[in-house]
Amino acid sequence: MIALTRMRLHGFVRTGRAVAPLIAALAALSILYGGGQAEAGEAYGVSALVAFPVLAWQTKILLDVEPDVQRRLARVALGSAARETAAGLLAAAVAGLGTIAVALAAPWVFQAVKADANVPVGVAVLIGLGVHLLALGPAVALGALASRAVVRTAGMGVAVLVTGSVLAVVLGLQGSPAPWLVPPLMAAARYTASGGPTLTALTLTTHAFLWTTATTYAYTRLRRTRP
Amino acid sequence: MHLDDVWLRYRRGGPWVLRDVTARVEPGGIVVVLGRNGAGKSTLLQLIAGVLRPAKGRVTGRPAVVGWVPERFPAEQPSTVDGYLRAMAAVRGLGPAAAGRAVDEWVQRLGLGEFRDVKLPELSKGTAQKVGLAQALLAPPDLLILDEPWEGLDAATRDLVPEIVLEVAARGGSVLVSDHRGETVRLPGAGTWTVADGTLSTAAADTGPRCVVEVAVSAADLAGAVARLREQGHHVLRVREEVGS
Repeated sequence: MIALTRMRLHGFVRTGRAVAPLIAALAALSILYGGGQAEAGEAYGVSALVAFPVLAWQTKILLDVEPDVQRRLARVALGSAARETAAGLLAAAVAGLGTIAVALAAPWVFQAVKADANVPVGVAVLIGLGVHLLALGPAVALGALASRAVVRTAGMGVAVLVTGSVLAVVLGLQGSPAPWLVPPLMAAARYTASGGPTLTALTLTTHAFLWTTATTYAYTRLRRTRP
Repeated sequence: MHLDDVWLRYRRGGPWVLRDVTARVEPGGIVVVLGRNGAGKSTLLQLIAGVLRPAKGRVTGRPAVVGWVPERFPAEQPSTVDGYLRAMAAVRGLGPAAAGRAVDEWVQRLGLGEFRDVKLPELSKGTAQKVGLAQALLAPPDLLILDEPWEGLDAATRDLVPEIVLEVAARGGSVLVSDHRGETVRLPGAGTWTVADGTLSTAAADTGPRCVVEVAVSAADLAGAVARLREQGHHVLRVREEVGS
């Protein structure tokens, strides 16, 4: 499975398909941090929200690089549909970590962080890592659902990405009737901006984990009949 | 390996591509899969390879190492021949040294030496098909599935395919081959499966003597006549388009 993960990452980088989402991430971050300074927690919370659609799009691109027949060849070579599917998700998660590294460095590069004597840089970056990882799992799951193997057409893939990303914001607003339907990105941004009890962080993490698990389960079920 | 009452369709509510397929593949057995274009040969082969799942019924006893050569190798990939084969060997669980040996062996046997450092999209169709053949053989397969393996191959490699098939069978592996060129006549002792209208009929390995009958058919019905003969399990050796009146 690791060999297939490596092969897919190699294809993603060597075809140049990795460049577009990276440029999109840099563009979004430069707009985000171009307007002035904010505290690190607030900056990272919004950054994770902005990174969510980029990470989902990046996942779709990575999974779509491989020709359909090659994906089937990999399934036969591995001898397991589940491991073939997992290798794609793992490759997308690893690629996502690269984008998150860029997002974590961005506010310091753009000098968009207000100095805060109470929060050392290391702690601020750890908070940023946590909130971005909270977005990574759901983003990979959404991107996988939008991949060609599942949706078959490019238009449907875009529709899945856009709908998922818009709903994540709309249903994540305060007072939303069904915030549990979407990953808790908005709630996480509010939490990192204004703080709160540790229990809230645990609740958000559990929510993101359950959402990722449910969506990944749907993806793997669909892939059983859509090799 | 068994296929028990297998039904397959590509989407819920769609037409059945395969219906009520029951068959058995013996270790060391060679099966030629016949049928006209669109009959479901490739679907059946992908079902047996483990690519597709049956909607109803069961496929049991699939061997651990399966080699599948698709009808058209997907050459739109960024790797070189050498890089691709090494990566596929690693996917099959071979360590670097074993992968290197396997790649060297099949590159040499299939005449791919001069293309080792060539990128896959730059290969001709025939050379790409050889890469497809090589990737299926990197780990000795217990089940080898060849979907129209002669398509686009040069004469030397066409001659090599029956040799490889017989080697796999001699080791106790099973081989399934689909063919519409009549090349499988070079596989003595092969059983015949015929796919027609979504159903499968099987015939035991033909080990008895054969006769050659020359038949003249109407040029307008040439394709239909050839297809009907193949569906009935006959081997069409050659088609001559000019026959004296």
